[in-house]
Amino acid sequence: MKPPKDFDRPRFLRVYTALFFVFLFAPIALVVLFSFNSTKSLQNFDGFSLRWYEQFFGSESLRESLAASIQIALVTMVVATVIGTLLAYGLVRSRTRWSGGLNVLMLVPLVTPEIVAGVSALLVFTQVGLQLSLTTIILGHITFSISYVTVVVRARLAALGEDVEEAAMDLGATRLETFRLITLPALWPAILAAGLLVFALSFDDFVLSFFTTGESPQPLPVRIWSAIRFGVTPTINAIGTFMLAVSVLTIGLAIALPRLLGRRESGLRVLLGREAA
Amino acid sequence: MSQGRFAAGFLVPGGLWLVLLFAIPLGIVLAISFGTTDDLGNTIYGWYPENYEQVFDPVFLPVLARSVGFALATVVLCLLIGYPVAYYIAIFGGRWKHVLVAMVVLPFFVNYLVRTYAWIAMLGDEGVVNGVIGGDIKFINTPWAVIGGLVYGYLVFMILPVYAALDRMDPALIEAGKDLYGGPWETFRNVTWPHTVQGVLAGTVLVFLPAVGDFVAAQLLGGPDSYMVGNLIQQQFFAAENWPFGAALTTVMMAFLFVWMVLYLRSAAREVAAE
Repeated sequence: MKPPKDFDRPRFLRVYTALFFVFLFAPIALVVLFSFNSTKSLQNFDGFSLRWYEQFFGSESLRESLAASIQIALVTMVVATVIGTLLAYGLVRSRTRWSGGLNVLMLVPLVTPEIVAGVSALLVFTQVGLQLSLTTIILGHITFSISYVTVVVRARLAALGEDVEEAAMDLGATRLETFRLITLPALWPAILAAGLLVFALSFDDFVLSFFTTGESPQPLPVRIWSAIRFGVTPTINAIGTFMLAVSVLTIGLAIALPRLLGRRESGLRVLLGREAA
Repeated sequence: MSQGRFAAGFLVPGGLWLVLLFAIPLGIVLAISFGTTDDLGNTIYGWYPENYEQVFDPVFLPVLARSVGFALATVVLCLLIGYPVAYYIAIFGGRWKHVLVAMVVLPFFVNYLVRTYAWIAMLGDEGVVNGVIGGDIKFINTPWAVIGGLVYGYLVFMILPVYAALDRMDPALIEAGKDLYGGPWETFRNVTWPHTVQGVLAGTVLVFLPAVGDFVAAQLLGGPDSYMVGNLIQQQFFAAENWPFGAALTTVMMAFLFVWMVLYLRSAAREVAAE
């Protein structure tokens, strides 16, 4: 007697997964489609037009917000990537009595609800008398991005092992030379992918920005929040579609760049921390 | 200088940053949660445990209970919806595996506000669905809309760890289960499920934590009747200007979530150590 084989013939599962992807993408497809609608309607598509994009890019204050969002994401990316990479190296290669505690301190931000992050950032900035501005947003973003970088880079570093570094030092390289000439080049794909991930997360972030933003310019997500509360307007579709394009481009780069730079591993595996050693 | 001491220097900038801008700020939240405000609304430090009595006031208690209830419902729905998808991709994805995983992750890089807004456009009183069916069904401004928004928002955090667990499992084990005359259900219960419990637990925590603290879904898809603790906190800082009470709410939420966080971090640390 052959056992029933329903799970080998995943027709049900295949249909289910297909329906799942429809559910997942339908709302997004709607936003993208209606961002090109020629009328204000969200029910009927009345022909192609770019008027909502003109409204987005034609508004000086929205342009300022876009510039602010890009600036925040770029600075966050650079600073968090440097600090996070150093932290990853320190956590993997050093054995001080601080390492254990620091490891926990590094992981906690990843599981802290964003609103807690927002409240604590707002409170600390106002207590030390910092005016809320782009700077405070950037400081908040960096704090939460360091951990992402550290986790991604650390996975790569752990997979690397210490043998090559030891070999370099046996051949007379100093520790700094070893780090610069051996470790860093081997870590590049992970560092790059982590940096781009941080850019995308920072660019999209709402909650933390909402708690730490000043009056003007405010980053795009905060502007979207104000706009949605006034009601549904197609300009939000255009902004949303544009932000989607930026994020997809960034993540696409994170996945493709390591390959383009002649590495065998794909960025996706690096990001998921699951590449082969 | 040993290799270890050389590397220890690399800990300094990150360690300092996290202490100064993460650990100390959490301490300030705790300190202010025992404070009060003067007539101008400025925060004054002190010992006013009344803030905590207020948190557990019958007016606010239902909000806390609702937050936990919504978040638990979100976890259950994410598991029910996400597990079969993760299973299909991991076991039957073949060479499309990575593409399918990327497709699951992709929507989560659409801004959360825009995704929530998209559901208003879909299901609103003048939305697409009501337009297509010519009806006027009230989807939005219900508790279910809030839970739906949370599920849509955090689904990926369930699918990815479950997928990772299934992907690590040797599919031959399922074959073996069947060769031993296990039915599909028995095979699933005795072979597949035990291999994915860790992933499900990770997913549960990763969905539960942000869902409890969310205020976007309740504000945009619900309404005052479905407000969660996040909305309450947000109001204290931006409308009521009662920062000490907001800080007390934040502290209570963080304390409640702390157990979950520790459990998750311990299992994650064990996993790293195992690899």
